[in-house]
Amino acid sequence: MAEEPFDADEIEEPAPVRGGSVVLRERFLVNGGKPLPELDSPNAKAFMAEDRHDLSRNLFALVCTPGIPLRTPEIKKFKTTPGSGLLELVEWESVFWPIIGQRTMIVIYERPMGGRVMDRIKSGQARITEYDIPRKVIQPIVDGLRHVKTLNTAHRALRPDNLFFLDEDLQEIVLGDCVTAPEGFDQPLMYEPLERALASPAGRGVGSTTDDMYALGASLVVLTVGSNPIERMKGEDLLFRRTNLGSYAAVCGNARIPMSLLEPLRGLLSDSANERWGIDEISNWLNGLKQTPQQKKPARKGETPLRFGGRDHTNVRTLAHAFNRQIPEAVKTLKDETFHAWLKRSAGEGDLSDTLKGYVDTANFHKENHQGTDEYLVARCCAAMDPHGPIRFKGVSVYLDGFGPMLAMEIIRNGNIQVLTEIINREIYQFWISDRTSFLDSIEIGQQYAQMKAWLSSKEAGQGLERCLYELNAGLACQSPHIIEDGIIFIDDLLPALDRAANHADGHSKPVDRHVAAFIAARFNEDILPHLRALAAPKESTAVIGMLSLLAFLQWKLKGAPVYGLTSWVGGLLGPAINAYHSRTTRRELEKEIPRLVRRGSLPDMFDLIDNAEKRAEDQDGYADAVEEYSACSREITDIEGSGNELQEKAERTGQRTAATISIITTMIAVTIMFISEIL
Amino acid sequence: MNMRVIIWGLLIFALLLIVALPTVMLVAFGMLPGLVAMIIDRTEERSATFCVGGLNFCGVFPYLMDLWFGDHSLGQAIGQLTDVFALAVMYGGACMGWMLYLSLPPVIASFIQVMSERRLQQLRKTQRDILDEWGDEVITDADLGGDGLVLPQQDDQNVAAEAA
Repeated sequence: MAEEPFDADEIEEPAPVRGGSVVLRERFLVNGGKPLPELDSPNAKAFMAEDRHDLSRNLFALVCTPGIPLRTPEIKKFKTTPGSGLLELVEWESVFWPIIGQRTMIVIYERPMGGRVMDRIKSGQARITEYDIPRKVIQPIVDGLRHVKTLNTAHRALRPDNLFFLDEDLQEIVLGDCVTAPEGFDQPLMYEPLERALASPAGRGVGSTTDDMYALGASLVVLTVGSNPIERMKGEDLLFRRTNLGSYAAVCGNARIPMSLLEPLRGLLSDSANERWGIDEISNWLNGLKQTPQQKKPARKGETPLRFGGRDHTNVRTLAHAFNRQIPEAVKTLKDETFHAWLKRSAGEGDLSDTLKGYVDTANFHKENHQGTDEYLVARCCAAMDPHGPIRFKGVSVYLDGFGPMLAMEIIRNGNIQVLTEIINREIYQFWISDRTSFLDSIEIGQQYAQMKAWLSSKEAGQGLERCLYELNAGLACQSPHIIEDGIIFIDDLLPALDRAANHADGHSKPVDRHVAAFIAARFNEDILPHLRALAAPKESTAVIGMLSLLAFLQWKLKGAPVYGLTSWVGGLLGPAINAYHSRTTRRELEKEIPRLVRRGSLPDMFDLIDNAEKRAEDQDGYADAVEEYSACSREITDIEGSGNELQEKAERTGQRTAATISIITTMIAVTIMFISEIL
Repeated sequence: MNMRVIIWGLLIFALLLIVALPTVMLVAFGMLPGLVAMIIDRTEERSATFCVGGLNFCGVFPYLMDLWFGDHSLGQAIGQLTDVFALAVMYGGACMGWMLYLSLPPVIASFIQVMSERRLQQLRKTQRDILDEWGDEVITDADLGGDGLVLPQQDDQNVAAEAA
């Protein structure tokens, strides 16, 4: 081995950018000097890996692209419950990767020794005939999908170039990685069901096995033919063709499909999710059971086309897609009687025409608010025109279950976040949900998005856009500038990352910024609302104590190791909290005590020191007494000083009174003595 | 009311003139400085009257005793009033009263002034100690505005940064 491997957990400073190796969980060595480009995923680079406990194992590692939201719940599931038909996920960990000079997630898989199926077919090393398809291709993939379904998730990355031969004999096919990018993110349009293909890649949504079944159908076409029959058709053209002809006709094109596969392909490539073949249907087919033949059902077409956006549209679905791209023209069209005449006579959508007219009237009625805007009107009309399509608003197309990854990608790319927040704030999702009550749990989704709206409307730390970001993306790393390069996905890794960040962070900046607060709120399963409230307090001393209490609570609950750097960093920010004590003596005592606690690396101890209830009560009482004593002194001073010559006059009056008293007493004594002496 | 007092006063004075004319004569002439002090003393407390009148009476009383326990006659009274030594004793007492009245207040005032200054210093020191220990915010919370107060030295702010 050329270089000494890094122990990922002992890295304190980012290493220079160079080739290198890391060790995961003190067992799996990932060799940065041995890339495996043939096993790369679109968002993860493949490298050679080995198990130090068992060198005979064939492994490879996928080093994820930092910033891309990962499917961490699926990573955990696949790790703990491996199944047939899938590449075995052996291990995973977020570690420092020297080649890019920052931490990132590395996922270790069992290495498919036969390589990528499509590469083998193209090179002629493997040949898959129509007779091989059922047992050699469909069966293992269906086994894999069935296993994925038992884990209550979907693969969402099924495509020919993500299928591998597990063995060198090129006999066993398995599904490749699906956890290094959001669901459907890497899928070419061809392998996504039509309704999800119409959304942006990041916003295609979590999906289900039904979507995997469509991808299986599209993949089968490519594997059967040996190449992609519609390879040259991209983007809008493909979507247009699929919408007009139906996905089966569009994907198969003029390719020669074996008769034996027509039935399953029609079933799998159905554009209706309800009619699409599921695992049971395809299993029955594999077992030789006849299925009810499905007829190809192209979308409802108008007799005459409607010209919009440079294309002739014959159905409202493509029109909805086009409307979202050209909003001013769409509004003109929606208000044009010619369009409604076309809807009624040519497209046969009389009811839809009435509905759209109703929306236009409503928009006219609400001219004063956002419901009267062109964007809102077009979004509402698009939802009605394409009931199974994504939310379309201001050019953005996103499924509600893909909202999280979409938001994450837009934030990471500094994209258009405004539109996404408007979808929540202006409740664009509401009418989208109401149009889809037949196949959505509208109440649950409504509640989920109402909660997001509440978070978005709050400016406090731990809420806002950041909270939505982390709540909706379990696999997204914390985006705080302090620790973004650490790729922290799990709450347990947060304090060690902040501890490392203390070495290079500006001492005046706070470790708990909006991202860290939201990350904790989303990933930490404890009630931290009181801490967040304190953190958001306008008074600096309360905010600092809130920050300390939150971090201390985290360290205490997670039973984390001492964090010397972080304790020192927080200790340097405690000025306002210490100054919240009135007594200077107490302040000096606290300041003297902090270095000792820094050496212990214990945030709970530091919190106990700073926010000791008994000490606070003593301080308050002492302060109240001091104020009272000060007031009393001031009153007495005012009395003594009086005003003008009052003191002088007072002194003179006292002197005169004293003189009179002396005189009277002297007289009385003298008279008494004289009288007695005369008598005696 | 006043008229009644005057009538009663005149009645008693007339009775005294009949019964003890020598005594009345001696007191009337011997206590003239006290009477003058009473007339010119316009203060409410009448300190000058008591001061001068008291010591004036001290000077008159030995001669009253001579009258009362000796020859209580008009001649004896006239004899005493024409005696320069007796007059010197009576009026000297009044003079002592005036001296006491004029000299004692400034002394007492100076003493009180010194005591007050000392007390002011003590109070200001107490306030300074309070501000040193509890900070300037005490002034605000005491709702005094800090007029005339000495502020403590700012010596212990933001030491937390050093601790880190």
